[in-house]
Amino acid sequence: MMIIRPIAAADIGALFQLALHAGVGLTTLPANEELLQARIDASLASFAGTSERAEQIFVFVLEDTASHKIVGICAIAAAVGLRQPWYSYRVGQVVHASQELGIFTQTPTLFLSNDHTGQSELCSLFLDPNYRQGKNGSLLSKCRFLFIAQFRERFSKKIIAELRGVSDAEGKSPFWESLGRHFFSMEFKDADYLTGIGKKSFVAELMPKHPLYSSFLTPAAQAVIGQTHELTKPALSMLESEGFRFEGHVDIFDAGPAVECDVEDIDAVAKSRLYKVAMAVPTTAPHAKGPTVDKAGIHYLVANTWLTHFRVMLVRGEPAGETFPLSAEDAQALGVNAGDNVRVVTLSPKDRVAG
Amino acid sequence: MTDLPAIERIAAVSAVGITSLPPDREKLYDKLRSSVHSFSSEVDVNGEEIYFFVLENTATGEIVGTSGVVASAGFHDRFYSYRNEIIVHASQELKVSNKIHALHLCHDLTGLSLLTSFYIDPAYEHTEWPQLLSRARLLYMAEFPQRFADKLAAENPGLCDDEGHSPFWNAVGRRFFNMEYPQAEQLSGGRSKTFIAELMPQYPIYVPLLPAEAQLAIGQLHPVAELPFSILLDEGFEADTYVDIFDGGPTVEARLQTLRTIQGNRRLQVKLSGGTEAEFDSSAAPYLVANIAADTFRATIANACIERNAILIAPAVAASLQLKPGDYVRAAPLGASGHAAPGGTR
Repeated sequence: MMIIRPIAAADIGALFQLALHAGVGLTTLPANEELLQARIDASLASFAGTSERAEQIFVFVLEDTASHKIVGICAIAAAVGLRQPWYSYRVGQVVHASQELGIFTQTPTLFLSNDHTGQSELCSLFLDPNYRQGKNGSLLSKCRFLFIAQFRERFSKKIIAELRGVSDAEGKSPFWESLGRHFFSMEFKDADYLTGIGKKSFVAELMPKHPLYSSFLTPAAQAVIGQTHELTKPALSMLESEGFRFEGHVDIFDAGPAVECDVEDIDAVAKSRLYKVAMAVPTTAPHAKGPTVDKAGIHYLVANTWLTHFRVMLVRGEPAGETFPLSAEDAQALGVNAGDNVRVVTLSPKDRVAG
Repeated sequence: MTDLPAIERIAAVSAVGITSLPPDREKLYDKLRSSVHSFSSEVDVNGEEIYFFVLENTATGEIVGTSGVVASAGFHDRFYSYRNEIIVHASQELKVSNKIHALHLCHDLTGLSLLTSFYIDPAYEHTEWPQLLSRARLLYMAEFPQRFADKLAAENPGLCDDEGHSPFWNAVGRRFFNMEYPQAEQLSGGRSKTFIAELMPQYPIYVPLLPAEAQLAIGQLHPVAELPFSILLDEGFEADTYVDIFDGGPTVEARLQTLRTIQGNRRLQVKLSGGTEAEFDSSAAPYLVANIAADTFRATIANACIERNAILIAPAVAASLQLKPGDYVRAAPLGASGHAAPGGTR
């Protein structure tokens, strides 16, 4: 059984193993024990309510309950850019026109911005490659929407997510080669690493501050502005299906897109609802009376409503009126009893009806 | 105004690089009329005047060169240039400090007096006459400082090939115009360059993002303008700060009072020699000599001796400058870069 829970202090060893597995080059999960420990501590303080919003990050892990192995991680930062500046380029355009001369040119521009300052960010997603099957990826990513829905006051009105930009097999980013490299004699993957260990703003401070005319960049660089890395496209589609949109902000290093969505417009948030837990009668029981779990039913994300003991799992079934039937094992894994609230939404937006 | 045909001829041969001399009779006519008016006007503060000077070979009556001054750059409007800047991007944390070269569009030179329109017949390039043609303007300024700003600038043509392709324009302006520079200039119909400038990129240009050939063209002089450029540098003009927004050519600037001709010039009373070279003693040397008439200004290069507050010149020189004994002149040493003292006068 796969379950989402807040990261715990004891997870440090497992997390480090996961990071090693991730290998070099993954920004979101650097294999740096000190840094991972700091991230766990920050998450614990956030759940405990002992840190300020600017420091808060809610980190979740995906646990295989059979082996107690941690196979995935994801997080939500409550408010970015309140400790170190948060930079992105805003894609814009300037028009140079003269009716008299018959001139009309539209030139794309990049404006360095701190527009996302204070907004909540979906971040740090990583799933063990051995577990990239079935619905694990969706569970890991979307569990955060139920948390946001349940604890809305902890997050900003708008939620953002940054997606990896285009780079080749050697980790070369055409955008970085055309822009960043001139300002910072460093390989993209090194800059990327600095980003991962929380030093992005130091690098950003070396980047051009004035608006840029994108047309001054190489054609290869211009072509990848706002484009997602091939491997990250599924993540983009998932976010788009939940209502996230590219609103013209790109990463300052690789020009990967940031997508954003108002909380109330995130489909999984808007259409999630609370049910009372009903204990299902095992279908194997002879002459069973009461609700049952439809093993062939639709996949639902089901979360309890506790903060520090937050749990999410995927359940196949069907709500029955104001209740949601859960098997005994599932209820136990979620830490709920009959009559407790659970927050529920279908895994796929296609299966949702207006709430 | 009778000089128009001669100037028209010069404008035709100097078409590339000297944009202040449009090969267009009507515009040249307006320019000359404006110049005539400027010389004859009472001026307290520099404004929209333009002053146009010609170099005449008095032996033949032929006009062999032009130079000019725009009293106030960008008058009524703005005068655009790119300012070379260094932006330091540094991080103590990362122990990095990068100097980034950027071009900032600016109006810094607006209101300065502009030296313009320099052209000399190639046959006279290797004489001392280019010195006169360029520096006579400074003697005029020395006598009439109220007509000019206390700072001067001069645009110099940047690199381009025979067809007028400029690597700087191709990398910068062209992206906003989609046409060759001469074409853009033609389109603007000879109006002030401001007209085009307003269509140019307004944000700073990060030089490292430009193609190598465009980077190399920044501040590079077109070889055709080496002579007038070197005269200005010898005068004390500085060339590192500003470049032309279209072709990247160097725009030089200086304070009038620091220039060599201004510092070396004196106001002196005319004494006539007996008409023979013999009367000049060993202190005789070539001087730029100019009368001090606002409207009938004349200047030449002549052998002269300075005696206290007087200048001894040949009667023929005095005549060509419309001077009689006791009149005042402005004179400055021709200087080391000048050639041998001339025999004739202009």
